[in-house]
Amino acid sequence: MAVSWQRRLAAHAPAAVFLAEGARIGPLRETLALSPGIRLVDTPRHASVLLVAGDIPTGWRDDLRRVHDQLPAPFASVWCCCEPFEALHDPIRIDTLEALPQGVAETHRELMLGKRDSAPRLQPDEPPNPWEGLGDDGHGGEGMMGGTPYGRPMAMNMQDDLRDGLTLDTLTFRLGPFHSGLPPGLQAEISLQGDLVQAWTVTRKPFASVVEPIFHAARQAPVPIAELELSRARHHLRRLYRGLLVAGWPRLAERTLSLTGQLSPNSDITALRRSLERGGLWRLALPEPGRGVLDEAQVRELGGPAVRAAGIDEDLRSHDAHYRRLGFAPTCRDAGDTAARWRQWLDEIEQSLWLAGQAARHDLKTAETDAVETPRGPWTDAFPHDMSDLLGQVLPGLEWGEAMLTLASLDVSALDLHPLEEPWQRSTGDREGRA
Amino acid sequence: MILDQLILPWLLAWLMVGLGAYLVAVLDRLLATGSARDGSVWLAPLASAAWLMTQQATTTEAPDAPAWRLAPALYLALAATGLALVPWSPTLVGVDLATSLVLWGSLEALATVVIFLHGWSANAHLALIGAYRYVALGLSYLLISMFVLIGVALPAESLRLTEVVAAQTSLWHVVSQPLGLPLFLMVGLGLTFWGPLDLADSTDLSGGTAVERSGPPRLVWALARAAMLVAFSAIAATAFLGGWLGPWLPGPAWLLIKSLAVLVALLWLGRRLPRFAPERCVTLMWVVLLPLSFIDLIWAGAVALWMA
Repeated sequence: MAVSWQRRLAAHAPAAVFLAEGARIGPLRETLALSPGIRLVDTPRHASVLLVAGDIPTGWRDDLRRVHDQLPAPFASVWCCCEPFEALHDPIRIDTLEALPQGVAETHRELMLGKRDSAPRLQPDEPPNPWEGLGDDGHGGEGMMGGTPYGRPMAMNMQDDLRDGLTLDTLTFRLGPFHSGLPPGLQAEISLQGDLVQAWTVTRKPFASVVEPIFHAARQAPVPIAELELSRARHHLRRLYRGLLVAGWPRLAERTLSLTGQLSPNSDITALRRSLERGGLWRLALPEPGRGVLDEAQVRELGGPAVRAAGIDEDLRSHDAHYRRLGFAPTCRDAGDTAARWRQWLDEIEQSLWLAGQAARHDLKTAETDAVETPRGPWTDAFPHDMSDLLGQVLPGLEWGEAMLTLASLDVSALDLHPLEEPWQRSTGDREGRA
Repeated sequence: MILDQLILPWLLAWLMVGLGAYLVAVLDRLLATGSARDGSVWLAPLASAAWLMTQQATTTEAPDAPAWRLAPALYLALAATGLALVPWSPTLVGVDLATSLVLWGSLEALATVVIFLHGWSANAHLALIGAYRYVALGLSYLLISMFVLIGVALPAESLRLTEVVAAQTSLWHVVSQPLGLPLFLMVGLGLTFWGPLDLADSTDLSGGTAVERSGPPRLVWALARAAMLVAFSAIAATAFLGGWLGPWLPGPAWLLIKSLAVLVALLWLGRRLPRFAPERCVTLMWVVLLPLSFIDLIWAGAVALWMA
């Protein structure tokens, strides 16, 4: 088949990838973000490749089908460490992380050059619910009140406004479970008035989050503090990267992410802090003080950086004799709001790098194995469990952008107690650095 | 006469739309990372455009079909109309209206309508939020733009852009009205919802008004946004940097250089600043920038009287 000049030119474009993250994967999004020839997009409409990675539980597969069918033709799906849909003829499976970026870019090229057909649609092209409306304009019912066209109610005023008394029609919709701004697996039913969140109900809980294998190793035997702290710094840098993307600061986000591959006990992030805080820019991007604030009971249950951002110096590292020998004391902020939690990450990254430097000089290992402070929170006999229902208390009353920034500041997924298996185990900082 | 006053300016306007949009894509990539991660910066915009041309134009469940189809083209038409107002020399002007400044102001107002339509017609929640946000932003920057533009019209005693340039022969407005250009640049970021004022198509909305767009209409939308940046840069260069005025080089060359400088400044700001939270943005406009635009207008009037 002759290939037009337009398609040959299109083959040179970066592969626009929508990543559907399943359970128990490493920092794949971050690895791909630094890979040449790949551009991650936030909506399936902007993608030419759907990349499905990790375990997709049965209850989530119908949602994945819907995401799959939203990609404009020509498109393809790539499956990494999960089972493709049976309806797909010739699905592309790539189960090695080293081959994934190249494989995805190659898939895009093959699509453009006509070497691969577009994936078939899995669902019929019809509304999910039958037409039940009345009226010429599809308003769905008799008179102004409407009915339930397509099985959904019309936007209408059902609740008082939470902000300034200017009551608008309430719009209710579902978001997730593969929305890039939400934790993987989370689905929420959201009611908005204008751009203000009126109600947030979690309908599917997020997949448990994984931490680097060294935190699991630290529960078994002493591990070098320097390595443990570098892992912690990497984890927080990745969180900061995602937050900065939401905040519309892509250049700085990419710079933040690139640091994860270069971390050593001698690293410091003074330049990053300076860029963030220059001229009060960070303050302009973050929600105003007092927004997204959690009370003491909530932060104690959440643990980790969130509790310390509220001024409570709870950190299991304080109980470790070797950490105390290094002069460790928890670093805290007072406000307990969204802005404080963002700043807490930065403080803890700096502290972890300082601790890594000190520990490397003294060649110190952890002294405790029964209690490990993970980046997600304390892990003793108890461990961080799912806190996504907290979102229904924190997010209502916030403007959409503030709600997304607040969501990015909270780690509400449960901690996965099992270390990652191959190939994800190797998907940590060194891969991001090489990318 | 037909060649000078009709065909040439018309060709120039559309050439600026095409070449200007390409230049925006190249410069923005250069400012984004300074690296060539996505391949050649010169080829990448063309490759991305070709990819969008091959892609299916998807639609939503029940869009407002006429508005959904027309909104990207209307925004592009507004940008092209803006470029047609730009005087390249005393005689080379696409549309030399006696009220060209007023027409530019009306383009800014119409942009609010078109961008709202783009988000609203999709019949999708995230696109709708983007549309709501833009209306709040548009209402905030339009008044600032009006006062600043009246400020440049005062010394010329005319609303014609060629007269505005002629009034800068002795001193450019960027010097005589020091608040004007910085305020107008903020208007530009708002009009094109770029960088810190990108509230309509932002990442927290997964693309906002364009979240459901794909294929050629998405390309037209991107082209229109870039073309509007170019049109704004040319108008800013005309209103504050003396337009075609300058030694040695021909007038159009000076206008190109000055427009390019404004364009780079806008793109640089877009990359260096985070997106402002909508509430802070509106507060900044009404509480800080609008009073500053009053001061700019009073200052411009006083200077005009003194120089007269």
